[in-house]
Amino acid sequence: MKILVADDSRVMRQIVIRTLRQAGYDDHDIVEAEDGRDAYDKVHAENPDLVLSDWNMPNMTGLECLQALRSAGSAVPFGFVTSEGSAEMRDKASAAGALFLIAKPFTEETFRENLDGVIA
Amino acid sequence: MTLAPDAPGRLAIPALIDEATVESIAGEAWIALVGEDEVLVPVPGDLPEDTLSAWVDVVGPWTGSVVLTTGRQTAAELTRALLGDAAPELLDHEDVADAFGEIANVVGGNVKAALPGPSTLGLPEVGAAPTVRNPEDVCRIEVLWRGQPLVVSVQGALPSLPVPHTPHQHPHQNGASQ
Repeated sequence: MKILVADDSRVMRQIVIRTLRQAGYDDHDIVEAEDGRDAYDKVHAENPDLVLSDWNMPNMTGLECLQALRSAGSAVPFGFVTSEGSAEMRDKASAAGALFLIAKPFTEETFRENLDGVIA
Repeated sequence: MTLAPDAPGRLAIPALIDEATVESIAGEAWIALVGEDEVLVPVPGDLPEDTLSAWVDVVGPWTGSVVLTTGRQTAAELTRALLGDAAPELLDHEDVADAFGEIANVVGGNVKAALPGPSTLGLPEVGAAPTVRNPEDVCRIEVLWRGQPLVVSVQGALPSLPVPHTPHQHPHQNGASQ
């Protein structure tokens, strides 16, 4: 299984990847993207099984990336990992087709709760 | 803490969030991002001369910045703690800006969620702290991390509060019927 981790912060990508490992998802291929545009391109180039994306990023936000992917016909499972977990943002995420929204700060338990069933 | 729906004018930050909430938000961010045992102790300390700040801007019904300030050395130590095994032997400024900025982003995002919306969050910035515009529009906490001082300041971006004016929210029904 291949997971695409999109965040403009390299440190946060490291933390997300580390948390995935700690949550027990340690035998998957990880691809990194540094903003929404890069994530969009890499979904087409790498064909991941899941996208874990930050919301607030330069060039293209995570939400714009998801909307662009859906407009282009991609049904790749997509979840947000973001520092903003308000009801308003959860609604927007869900309306755009996201499976879940994990708010930062998160724990390995939060990852398990949201990813069990999504990651085989 | 609630915002009266008919509150005239713009409210300053002490009416919207208190120190205990900011402290709890920062404490949770530290435990989740820095490490389970990394507590913030609510004790003030003197910041060293050489400090670094990281902040995010919030724009909405309340507009301002959520600013974290600590000693440059402490910011580097935080970066190592965040990166864990992935920390390079020699940190460069970009690593510190990324790590410290991301902590500000997480703290700022959660502060924003506690404020009245809708509002937007900017991307993290790192450097010399933005100047406090209005001392009455500031919620500031001082804590110690690993014995080193750190300040979280939620500070308004406007030079002064507008004079409260009488509400005039009575939309005219000027013949809109068909």
